[in-house]
Amino acid sequence: MTATLHRKRATNRSGTNAAVVTHGTVALRNLEAQIEGLEPNSTPGFPRVAERARLVDLLALRGSILGSIADYERALELAHLLVRYATTEAAAFLARARTRAVFHRFGDALDDLDVAERLAADTESVDRERAAVFQGLGRYEEASAIREEEARRRPSFESFGALTTLCAERGDTERAEWLHAESVRRYRGISPLPLATLDFQLGVMWMRQGDFDRARDQLTAARRYVAAYVPAQGHLAEVEAELGDAESAVALLYPLATTSDDPDYAGQLARILADAGRTEESRYWRQHAAERYDELIALHPEAFADHAADFWLGAGAEPEKALRLARMNFAIRKTPRARALLSRAVAACAAASASGSRKEPA
Amino acid sequence: MSDHFSGPRALADPAADLVDLFAFPAPNNPQRLVVVMDVFGKAGPGAVFSDAVIYRFRFRRARIAVTGPGAAFGVDPDEVGFDITFDVPSGGDTALQRGHCRIPGGETVSFSTNDERGGTGRGVRVFAGQRSEPFFLDVHTILESTETRKLAFKKVGSDTLYGTNVLSIVLELEWAELLGSGPIFAIVCETLRAGPRPVRIERLGRPEIKNVSMSFKTFDQVNRDLEVRDLYNSEDAFALMPDYVGAYRARLNANLSFWDSLDGKVDWPLDERGNHPLTRLLLADFLVIDLSKPFQDTSYFEIERAMLAGRPHASPGGRWLNEDVMDSIFTLYINGGNGPRINDGIDAPIAWSSKVFPYLAPPNPPKGQAS
Repeated sequence: MTATLHRKRATNRSGTNAAVVTHGTVALRNLEAQIEGLEPNSTPGFPRVAERARLVDLLALRGSILGSIADYERALELAHLLVRYATTEAAAFLARARTRAVFHRFGDALDDLDVAERLAADTESVDRERAAVFQGLGRYEEASAIREEEARRRPSFESFGALTTLCAERGDTERAEWLHAESVRRYRGISPLPLATLDFQLGVMWMRQGDFDRARDQLTAARRYVAAYVPAQGHLAEVEAELGDAESAVALLYPLATTSDDPDYAGQLARILADAGRTEESRYWRQHAAERYDELIALHPEAFADHAADFWLGAGAEPEKALRLARMNFAIRKTPRARALLSRAVAACAAASASGSRKEPA
Repeated sequence: MSDHFSGPRALADPAADLVDLFAFPAPNNPQRLVVVMDVFGKAGPGAVFSDAVIYRFRFRRARIAVTGPGAAFGVDPDEVGFDITFDVPSGGDTALQRGHCRIPGGETVSFSTNDERGGTGRGVRVFAGQRSEPFFLDVHTILESTETRKLAFKKVGSDTLYGTNVLSIVLELEWAELLGSGPIFAIVCETLRAGPRPVRIERLGRPEIKNVSMSFKTFDQVNRDLEVRDLYNSEDAFALMPDYVGAYRARLNANLSFWDSLDGKVDWPLDERGNHPLTRLLLADFLVIDLSKPFQDTSYFEIERAMLAGRPHASPGGRWLNEDVMDSIFTLYINGGNGPRINDGIDAPIAWSSKVFPYLAPPNPPKGQAS
């Protein structure tokens, strides 16, 4: 029932139930224009902490929509500068906590939140951020307690949306769908970005559940809001490949692999090309992804351990490397997916040992 | 940018974030009224108007109803509105958009953004595009004043908005033909989410009501923790909900009293109910303009001050683009005009507006490119 309701809303954007939102290209232009307008003020000495914290969040938002690691890195850099400049401002520590969590530096993020709380940030804001960190760490009960309470006290797009992502992460599909519909129903804004993000989260949930038809619907809905939503396009490609349409998958991944600084797309492209028997092309993209993963692991090991491990288990074909990274990932976050990744890595290494040789790269 | 960041919701979409409203008789033609709505403070060069927003000007005939301490306007229930909407940019990297202004009677005037000639129709000329920020202030010293409870303005301040740009909509109209007989009008602008039932996102009349006059919670002993501005923004400027007006009044009474205290004397004694003499007039949150008076460079709140003093006003009121309105506001709030003009240390924007259409100066180059 709830699934039917949701699909109707997601696909009926011109109907009366659909939120009227800004076109995705306009929203992205204006996100860019906001960043450009604030960036010159981000140097140390500029007095407005609120605007500098806002710039950090806008960069992280653009990073999440365009799949840009450079944006995340810039956000983290600015957050560090902001904390150094505004040592007594809770807003500075909250902004850095958010960016540290993006890089899976969960312990550091929790430390920042403790400081923010001591600096008299309101408890609700700090708890909201803590819930996100707990979710990342796999401490679902603690995250759930905070998010359920917030949704109860303040039912809104934001509170229901946060709960949606938690349920999606935990694989509670029925509740996630219902919450998603309730969240969308409460949306009062005109930006398409929050709606696209929520659709994306649900798409990823279905993908992980192996329901690729639903995943395709949801990821397509996300891209209807924002056509240039890079992670949605990347995941849609994976779904298309799972559904047997390798050509569509390659067509979706190729522009991302070519332009993105996130090696995930090159890695996925390498895997799909190998499965399709296009060995030479696959080898090229495998190499491309491998070099970039090595760079990123050197710079941000916590953030990329899981994706890199996944890559080395698949197209990368180096199970020992994958096992080392999967162990690192599991040490950071005790999530079911981290555990599953580690199990896959252990099994792959055992298989490689049994066969007496490393698997040759595609 | 007197209304920039005027509440949490305004932060979510800058293209719907109202930052200023101006209204003045056309300097060279008193038969024409000019209104300007600015959105998207600190806009980067690629900023465009939202295709999901209705940008609306509302006009109602007004009259001076009460003078003296209880000064108040009377406002007609009927109104004239102008809705401006925008298409999605046609493609590529262009910031050019087609805009459409629906004027009373149903005619639509279409135009291209950033075309200084604007679009013309029956009694109307309309421009929209990126322009230099005409507003100027030193936010840092304002915040310092509220934190230290001492006037922190410097002789030479630092313009928080120096070199920044906004998205402007300029509407010049034959007022007698399109608005009917006045000559006094109350004016507000609004952004609304488009759709079968448009929803108001923001509304704006007077400068610095939501920020300098309303945002600070410290002085308000009634609603110390309440962020009133989203609620205030959602209200009809011409018909505030009786349920919430007490909260707005309490906030204004408290904050206006704080500003009055900064010169060490009371220029605005509260009445027996604790109301500040300006609160009622400021809650009538629309610009009031008398089009029987010729253009003047400095006229903001002159009609209201004359009403309070029980004398005839001498200017058109409204608000001209180049007026140092922060000095006008601080002088009004702090010494009620009973002392020297208060100077916040910023006396000019980076570029003055001109007296010919489209009035606002062209946009500034991005800071990295400025010499």
